[in-house]
Parts: sequence; structure tokens; C-alpha cells
Amino acid sequence: MPSICVKFYSLWRQYLGVDNITLQAKSLDDALAQVEDRFGSRLREQLRAEGVQADGRIQDYSLILLNGTSLRNLKQTCLKEGDTLQIFPPATGG
Amino acid sequence: MGGKDIIQRIAESTELHTAPGGEKYPVISLKNTVSIAQSQRTPIKEVEITALKQGITPWRYLRNTGTIGLDGQIKLLQSTIAVVGAGGLGGTIIELLARQGVGHIIIIDNDRFAEQNLNRQLMSTEKNLGSYKATAAAERVKDINSAVTVTTSLKKLTGDNAHRLLKDANVVADGLDNLSSRFAVEKACRDLGIPYVYGTIAGFIGQLMTVFPEDTGLSCIYGRSDSLPEQGIEVKIGNPSATPAMIAALQVQEIIKIITGVGKPVRNHLFILDAMEGIADKIELSRH
Repeated sequence: MPSICVKFYSLWRQYLGVDNITLQAKSLDDALAQVEDRFGSRLREQLRAEGVQADGRIQDYSLILLNGTSLRNLKQTCLKEGDTLQIFPPATGG
Repeated sequence: MGGKDIIQRIAESTELHTAPGGEKYPVISLKNTVSIAQSQRTPIKEVEITALKQGITPWRYLRNTGTIGLDGQIKLLQSTIAVVGAGGLGGTIIELLARQGVGHIIIIDNDRFAEQNLNRQLMSTEKNLGSYKATAAAERVKDINSAVTVTTSLKKLTGDNAHRLLKDANVVADGLDNLSSRFAVEKACRDLGIPYVYGTIAGFIGQLMTVFPEDTGLSCIYGRSDSLPEQGIEVKIGNPSATPAMIAALQVQEIIKIITGVGKPVRNHLFILDAMEGIADKIELSRH
């Protein structure tokens, strides 16, 4: 099973207190389910404490890139050894 | 421009500045620059460019030229920068571009100042609440640097008018607050062959990237333009006073690097600045 790196950035890193973790996952769905299991409730709890209501799973309210491109652009969902998932909150302010 | 009379007047007005290290630099004052421009019926920036070409630095740019050189200052004075949005990011970008000495600024914003802008939007004051942001910014530029010319557009930039509004720019700076407008600007810049400097903020966090026409750009971060997140987390956590200034300053550095050729723009990477913890990250983006 491929070993992949999951990195958290900006507010998500602050709220979770984690820079990065290593997972064994053969597909994106599998990796995202593991991320949700380990961090989903903790992140939503932190967000609630900040007055932010986040609904759904982490992938529903985060920007997630696989090796530097948005998951929204990807058709294939298989993972390979050494892949990196980058996860952070959406920011659009100016 | 830069005729014999102007060159002679500049030479007559030049003084020698001795730096703390003992080096001597020929310089010309703002008062003399303006006087020459008025008497020769020439734009102030043309007098400044002519002086720089003679190796004479306008005093006001003396602290610029150590980094970008006289040639870099000339390139900036000959450049046109479009700033889309004159709010938090855009207001500070405009202020710094005027001080840096870019030749022409196009300011595009259809919005007016409101009280909730006062915490962070540099061009807003208690006196100009209700005024158009672009108009207030143009007035501020005139006060800071009379060599800089400004074109304002009090329209909302859309996919339909973006090409027309941006076509004269050498670089376009992002002072926007929504993703659909950012994608419209990026597309127009790509079509027109113009570099685009993206910036965005939320809370104590900011993001930055320079997108050249051949770069993959915003879709790497947000996905295709037809599947964008509705809103960012700043809707809940706000935009405190210093965050736009932090990212706008970096956007201006990008513009200076692009125009002068000094340094290396942040291309194909997303730069994330987390002021809450004092951490800077760069995520390498896919080039496909």
C-alpha cells in the first residue's frame, strides 16, 4: 500500500496542532476518509470555538491539492508512493 | 521628450549628494524637477526619466535605486500597472506603487467606502466615507507622487469588460475579494499575455502567487472556474488591519521584480504567510 504525506497549512495547522502526517492509502477516497476519521471532529470543534460553523467532512470545507493541483481537477483517484496531499482553508478576502 | 533644453536644465539643477560611506551621487530635487516640467511643458515623469538616463537620480527615488538601479527606476516609470480593487489589498498596493514611482496606474473599482473599511483600507478616512474608492485612491496618488498618472474606472470588472480595462497594463495586481472576479482577471491576463499578481487574505493569513500567461495559476488551488468554493473563511474570521498590508507589500515586490527583472517572482508556487505563528510556506504547484 502506498505511503503518502498529508500536510496541513495555515489555520488548519494551527487548529489541529499538526504539520504533517504519513498515511498508507491506495486511493484518494481512502486517504481522505482516514484524514476525516483522525482530524475531522477536532477541526470542527476548534472552528466552532472560533465561531465558525463548518458542515460536512474536511474535504467539503477545505482546499485540498494532490501534488500541487486541486482535487477538483483530478479524474484519477489512485495514489502512488510519495504522493503529497496539501490541505488548507479557502481564503478569498481582499 | 528629453530634448537638449531639458537635459541642460537638469544638468544646471543637479546637486551632489554624499552618502554616509563617502560615495557621491548626482541628484535632482522634486522642486527643480517640477519647475523644469512646467517650463518645458513636459510631464514630470519624462523629466525624471531623462534625468535618470543622464545618471542623475531624483532625490525621491534615491532609496529605490540601490536595489533596482537607475535602469530599474526608468523601467518602472515607463510602466503601467492595473490594480483591480482599491480596498484592503488594492489601496496599499496603489500607495506603494506611487511611492516606488511607477509611471501609470489603472485603478478599477466600482465600490464606495463604508465604515467597516476603516480598519484596513488605507485609502479610506472618516472624511471620505461614501466616496468612490478608485477616486479617493487617485487623489492620494496625486498627493504622493505627481509624476504618476492615473486612470480610474468606476466599473465592476467582469469577463465582458476585463480585456478592455486591462489591455494597456504591463502587470495586473489583484485587490479583489471574490474568486469569480479573480478567475475573470486571470483569464483576461492570460489572453492578453500580461503577468497577474494574485493575493488573498483571511484573518492573520495571506496567500500570494505570480501567474505568467503560460503558468497553470489559480485552477491549481481552487479547481476549475465552474466549481469554485462559494466563500472563504474570511467571512467568519474577518480581515484585521495589518493582514492586507502584509500581502499587498509582497504583491508590490512581485510587480517590481517583474518590471525591473531584479529577483525571481513567485511563479508556480503558492506562498502562504501565517502571521499567527510566524510561518511562511511555499507549496509547489503542478505545471500541467
